[in-house]
Amino acid sequence: MIDFDLGDELELLRSTAQQFAADHLRPALRDHESARQISQPAHAAFAEIGFAALECPESLGGSALGSLARCLMMEELAAADPGAALALDRLGAALYPIAEMGGDEALERFARPVLDTPDTRAALVWCGEGARAQTLRSGDRISGFVPWVPSDRVDLLLLLDERGCSIVHENIRCESLRGGGLRAAGAAELHLDDAPVAAHLEGEAAAGRALARARLYVTALLVGVMRESAEFSRQYALDRVAFGRPIAHHQGLAFLIADMATAVDAARVLLWEAAVRRDDAQANGLATHEQAAEAAATAFAEAAEQSLFVTPNGVQILGGHGFMQDYPVEKMMREARSLSLLLGGVDLAREHAARDLVVHEGPVALTLEAPP
Amino acid sequence: MNLVIDGPTRERLDSVRAIGESQIRPVGIEADRLGRPVPPDHPFFEMLVKVGLGRTRWDGKAEADRAAASSSSGASTPKLGASRGQLAVAEETSYWDRGVAVAFPGPGLGDPPISSMGTPDQKERFLGRFLNPDRPMWGSFAMTEPGAGSDVAGIQTTAHKDGDSWILHGAKSFAAHASRAEWIVVWATVDRSLGRDGHRAFVVERGTPGLGDFVVERKMGLKAYESTSFTLSDCRVPSANLLGGEDYYARKAGFKGAMKSFNATRPLVAAMAVGIGRAALDSAVVFARENDLLGQVRVRDRLERTRRRLRAARLLCWRAAWLADYGRPNILEASMSKAFAPSVAFEAASLGMELLGEVGGRGDHLIEKLFRDVKAMDIVEGTGQIQRVVMARQLVRLPRD
Ligand SMILES: Cc1cc2nc3c(=O)[nH]c(=O)nc-3n(C[C@H](O)[C@H](O)[C@H](O)COP(=O)(O)OP(=O)(O)OC[C@H]3O[C@@H](n4cnc5c(N)ncnc54)[C@H](O)[C@@H]3O)c2cc1C
Repeated sequence: MIDFDLGDELELLRSTAQQFAADHLRPALRDHESARQISQPAHAAFAEIGFAALECPESLGGSALGSLARCLMMEELAAADPGAALALDRLGAALYPIAEMGGDEALERFARPVLDTPDTRAALVWCGEGARAQTLRSGDRISGFVPWVPSDRVDLLLLLDERGCSIVHENIRCESLRGGGLRAAGAAELHLDDAPVAAHLEGEAAAGRALARARLYVTALLVGVMRESAEFSRQYALDRVAFGRPIAHHQGLAFLIADMATAVDAARVLLWEAAVRRDDAQANGLATHEQAAEAAATAFAEAAEQSLFVTPNGVQILGGHGFMQDYPVEKMMREARSLSLLLGGVDLAREHAARDLVVHEGPVALTLEAPP
Repeated sequence: MNLVIDGPTRERLDSVRAIGESQIRPVGIEADRLGRPVPPDHPFFEMLVKVGLGRTRWDGKAEADRAAASSSSGASTPKLGASRGQLAVAEETSYWDRGVAVAFPGPGLGDPPISSMGTPDQKERFLGRFLNPDRPMWGSFAMTEPGAGSDVAGIQTTAHKDGDSWILHGAKSFAAHASRAEWIVVWATVDRSLGRDGHRAFVVERGTPGLGDFVVERKMGLKAYESTSFTLSDCRVPSANLLGGEDYYARKAGFKGAMKSFNATRPLVAAMAVGIGRAALDSAVVFARENDLLGQVRVRDRLERTRRRLRAARLLCWRAAWLADYGRPNILEASMSKAFAPSVAFEAASLGMELLGEVGGRGDHLIEKLFRDVKAMDIVEGTGQIQRVVMARQLVRLPRD
């Protein structure tokens, strides 16, 4: 029956991530942002805990955990600093196209070097419908331009579209950018001038699965950022006094704070549902991969919309102070906006989420029901 | 974590679906057309009673309640684990017609206060007849007054002790089923200056002298059930009908008793809103498909958003019910679901109207009815604003004044 209990293993993972974030990320928020990199002790601790290979198969030294585990972990890290989360998780969402389309051999060839070599970074770039990246592949060469990736260097580049994925690991020219949000992860534009394509993986279904998992990844980051913005501003509103009482006790703000809490939870339950569907599709066939992909697009769209309600209001609740960089809420607003630009952005997510509304006749299913 | 509706619940939903299209919805549409509540002697109600509906949730174990009452705690523990099933059924029934869902015979909103606050004798007297009813019967719950709705503490109906009875005096508004009810749970105050501490609940039985002036209100929607205003003019009620007995109020549990039953029903009402919204969405998608509107991005986007929000609302309801099933605190989550679902459902119906265009203006489309029905969901059992007040008490300790 419907049950939101995470179970001991996932609760432990969540509290471990929370502790890691408290120890390594939260105190160094602005340092990481201005340095555009993460402290070495944080990298070491991250590797030590085994976060990087959470979803990798055991052959790769991973824990072979599922999407729900990954989402819980990313939410906790992003609640402290989503840019840092991206910087620490050097392989990141680039894992998914390799795993879905290339299998173990490709993982060994492309993912392992990134996992094993400190400082390297992988990037996943959407090149399909609606993409701002422009690439042109002819045979085993590719040229093109990617306007922004949240990284200062890219050692492994995955160019994903509806039909497959090109993998590039040579001749990637990065030019640093100032970046709007997520600066702790760095920011660069990428140029490919007749770069060799190390592998081109085909498969529409697999590309869809890879995109769906990447969306879950970014959605979890969005949920983390907006949760923290809601939480930080809630605390602030209890301390700040105006017109003789804590500002939280003026009904205009009290209701806003209630609505922000609701927005965060609405996004999170959709994220969880999408992650559970993906894990079910993978493990026991309770959901199909199409249902999982639709749910992931749905969760992404919701998290994007709700974060754009929550994070600017996080700033609003702090008034002028919110605008200043002494407080973290302005950073959260920038980061929420930046995150939701990734993977083709919100419009593409809406389009993908709406797909089955167009195709399937009959009542719209909100939740899966066990077969008779 | 498990987010799939299980087999047994699915079977319960199937049984609702089995009468949803053929009976529940047509009965609702008929009431809407005729502009009157479904009459008590409607064959539909007879049928429901025959198939075992219209019953109390009380387990009928008065002896066990007596034993519990004479021991320490006094209160019988509510059935754990039932909330999620109830929620699913409430949503599905409302999908077919929320007005009819409320019109179903049974003790209604009177059930929770009697089974949670009532003495074993009171449960037997008032809920006993709902254990295995042989005809459609209703119970009613009257808190709201002309001058006090959200501000429940401000009710003006008075209760004075007179020998072995109480004299009730005042007016009540919008109480579901009041004119047809076997009894009405009426909230009154023994001393207005005491606020909530002065509140008492009485079970006023049908035909009690002084209970009268029933006015079945004319409503925008949800016409299938009656919302009835009435007065109590020096209405004499035996002491044995003071819900919970004098001791109960000595423990200052009166107002909390009423509010506790609302905590349990908020996710249910929210789920009903989801049901209405889902009906509107389904109907809107069918219309859009038949009229070749699904090719338009703008249309797809809004349908997608509506489905997404309904799905989130449903999950928030489930979460609140899941917490309740494990006996865990859920005040924040219950109010969150109730704050969220009605506006989402309203959006669904309103979008449906927009897609219908002028067809929606005719006044004969299901979506047009849903659009009128759904608005009540943000008003009943705590308005959207009151839910936010409750949430803010939890989130930022919003003071009560
Ligand atoms: C279809 C229907 C069925 C009903 N059935 C029953 C029933 O069976 N039994 C029963 O007892 N009652 C019933 N009611 C009454 C219902 O519970 C009340 O209408 C509801 O509680 C609101 O009270 P009110 O109408 O007096 O509005 P008011 O309390 O006067 O509210 C007016 C407006 O002020 C807002 N407001 C009030 N207080 C605050 C505050 N502190 N902060 C911010 N905003 C505030 C409200 O949200 C609302 O928008 C029913 C109502 C309807 C519409």
